[in-house]
Amino acid sequence: MKKLVSVSASSFLTLMMLSACSDTGSEEASSDQGEWSPTNNLEFVAPAGAGGGWDTTARMAAQAFEEAGIVDVGIGVINREGGGGAVGWSYIANQAGDPHYLFAASPPLLLIPLNGQSEYSYEDFTPIANVIADFGAFAVRDDAPWQDLNELFEDMQDESSSITVVGESAPGSMDHVQFVNIAKAAGVDPGSITYVSAQDGSAMTNLLNGSVDVYSTGVTETIEQVRAGEVRVLAVTAEERLEGDTVEDYPTAIEQGIDEVFVNWRGFFGPPDMTEAEVEYYVNAFTELNESEEWDAVRERYSWDEYFMVGEEYKQFLEEQNEEMRLLLEELDLYGESE
Amino acid sequence: MIDFSGILSGLQMAISLEGILFVFIGVFVGTFIGLMPGLGPISAIAIMIPMTYNMDPTIALVMMAGVYYGAIFGGSTSSILLNAPGVAGTVATSFDGYPMAQQGKAGKALAIAAIAAFIGGTVSVVFLMLFAPVLSSVAIQFGPPEYFALMLLGLTAIASLSSGSTIKALMSALLGIMVVTIGIDAQTGTVRFTFGSANLLEGIDFLVIALGIFALAEVCALIINRQKTTFNAKTIGSLKITKEDFKEMVGPMSRQSVLGFIIGVLPGAGATIASFIGYTTEKRFAKNPDEFGKGSIKGLTAPETANNAATSGAFVPLLSLGIPGSGTTAVMLGALLVLNVQPGPLLMTENPTLFWGVIMSMYIGNIFLLILNLPLIPYISKILAIPRPMLISLVVVFCIIGVYSISFSIFDLYVLLAFGVIGYLMRMFQFPAAPFILAFILGGMLEQSFRQAMTISGNDVSIFISNPLSATLLALAAVSFLFPLWQSYRNKKNNNQTLSM
Repeated sequence: MKKLVSVSASSFLTLMMLSACSDTGSEEASSDQGEWSPTNNLEFVAPAGAGGGWDTTARMAAQAFEEAGIVDVGIGVINREGGGGAVGWSYIANQAGDPHYLFAASPPLLLIPLNGQSEYSYEDFTPIANVIADFGAFAVRDDAPWQDLNELFEDMQDESSSITVVGESAPGSMDHVQFVNIAKAAGVDPGSITYVSAQDGSAMTNLLNGSVDVYSTGVTETIEQVRAGEVRVLAVTAEERLEGDTVEDYPTAIEQGIDEVFVNWRGFFGPPDMTEAEVEYYVNAFTELNESEEWDAVRERYSWDEYFMVGEEYKQFLEEQNEEMRLLLEELDLYGESE
Repeated sequence: MIDFSGILSGLQMAISLEGILFVFIGVFVGTFIGLMPGLGPISAIAIMIPMTYNMDPTIALVMMAGVYYGAIFGGSTSSILLNAPGVAGTVATSFDGYPMAQQGKAGKALAIAAIAAFIGGTVSVVFLMLFAPVLSSVAIQFGPPEYFALMLLGLTAIASLSSGSTIKALMSALLGIMVVTIGIDAQTGTVRFTFGSANLLEGIDFLVIALGIFALAEVCALIINRQKTTFNAKTIGSLKITKEDFKEMVGPMSRQSVLGFIIGVLPGAGATIASFIGYTTEKRFAKNPDEFGKGSIKGLTAPETANNAATSGAFVPLLSLGIPGSGTTAVMLGALLVLNVQPGPLLMTENPTLFWGVIMSMYIGNIFLLILNLPLIPYISKILAIPRPMLISLVVVFCIIGVYSISFSIFDLYVLLAFGVIGYLMRMFQFPAAPFILAFILGGMLEQSFRQAMTISGNDVSIFISNPLSATLLALAAVSFLFPLWQSYRNKKNNNQTLSM
């Protein structure tokens, strides 16, 4: 059987390759006894551009699936960029009934619909499995006056404070919400936090040149600057300290007495209306992936934590997260009903 | 202090068989991608990421960098021949390149573009080699107020982009600023002017607009003015660049190699902004600015030098700080992460072979591009010999493929059509398109950086003048805005004097 190398199809060239390969890549269906397995190549959709978190998760999962021989059809990785994910989600929603499409998801799948910016929400899709988690980090310049998170939050509670927080996401999405979530637990009024969104990749620059005071971002984004002695990380949003060089030195918010975490969970969802047999196939596949050596190597390389959940457990987790995010956004006055 | 052993190990990497092979693959793919209207370096590099999985990181980056500057190099061809910009960075190339092709000088235009691109690319690599560490500390000084001031300075060029009525140029620019606000606002998350359509959430892609306003509008004009022989350029003319031509090129090439490189260094500003600023500054300082837009050699040389110089500039923040300054370098950063290389401030000392290998390979890549592009000119420009009805259909097909491949959205095709019509109407009523495009490119960052600065300062406008860098840029903007007024005042006075004599 011809295997399809995982390709990014940001271009029609790749589309042509895909269609060419899927002609030869199909396999006989084994649909007896209510069991299901893919009859075609799978498509993993990253609802964002190449190089981001969703893209990396989708790409690495596809690669590990093939290397470990868990899935015996090809897997293509497709980028469907736009609207913070909304464009990709509406693409998947249109594939209702065709279980060959999965997409990588993380908290923005809850946040963007809660902001009122997507007509589809997580409830419209079929949760398959959560695979990994990574965590947020709050970085300040090396010469900043704050030695720990409490000092920063104390200063922020002062009314005359002019402390600004920068992040790459829009207000009400990841970088903003993870900071607000922890700050609120420490007694800072969410509405008083000045958040600047720098979506053109200038967030780190703005921290380094002193335009802003705090950079709310992912752990990996901080490592090189910390090693170079340019910035310090005041806290990570994880429950326990992370493993690995440099990151093991980042204190958690919890150990500084602020009992709050923010998990950047990442999992896979399928289109609406999947049958039990289809879900079961993927649950088994992802369980096998989670235990494979190949996936272990990927987790280590990206310093991702294992965060595996399927079935009811995952659904319940999503419900709780969604409720928590909704309350937070209401407080920030960013909660909007989708039209 | 220049690290000679690092340079040597980089050079060794670049001239190894593998290094030469992959830089060639990179620039070859890049040239091809650049030729196709709409297909840009971002998608090309994204496609190549899986190919790099098992590669040496240096070789992978050498190849991806080759695709990037190769695409900008190759993108000029379709701008010149078809008025359909191959990549966003070569939109300004069509301003004078296309008129030259129409005058039957396509060969010369392509040759000028290739040489300007080569010089811009090579000179800027020298700068990259010598000044990367120094410049990165300057680039990092650019915060929101500085960007606002810089964008404002860029916008003051609008007046100089209008060949006729200034009012019409301003209206056209205003339209550009309005269109760029479509989509989710980055500072508040508010949805603006999308009329409830999810397709507009991300705003309108620059290439959709550029292809509509330039290529489709041109096609409309060709079809409607059937009687006029607008497309009389069956001959491509001689490739030869005379001594006089070259003399004209020297000025813009030397200035724009520097300016383009500096703009490329700034995170967020890339080849596109560099090419426009290059074009407008040259027009401003030209002795006979009226020639611009009618096939001026200077007007073609300037953006072609600037955009290629900017591509090397874009590697300064990426390689020396680990900060991607553009969409394309962000994708490259993502690819490097997959290969376990995390560019950052320590890259140069910890992985000198990668740092210098990429820089050294750029010299070779630029030479390849020149060798690849110059001999191909007679063949590529045969496109113009295609019968007009077929050529027009081809342009339309390329535009549609290019736009569709940006985000696989049928909706974008309607937007393309709409801008084709708008572009044609603008021509009919003599509204210049360039101010519209310029305002669209600069407007987004102008607005966002203004509001970022205001958020940071707590709505205190003094932030723009309290730091020397942005104050200087604002002063330059004021001078640049008032200069043409003063010029026309002086001209009037001179004319009056001649009359009274």
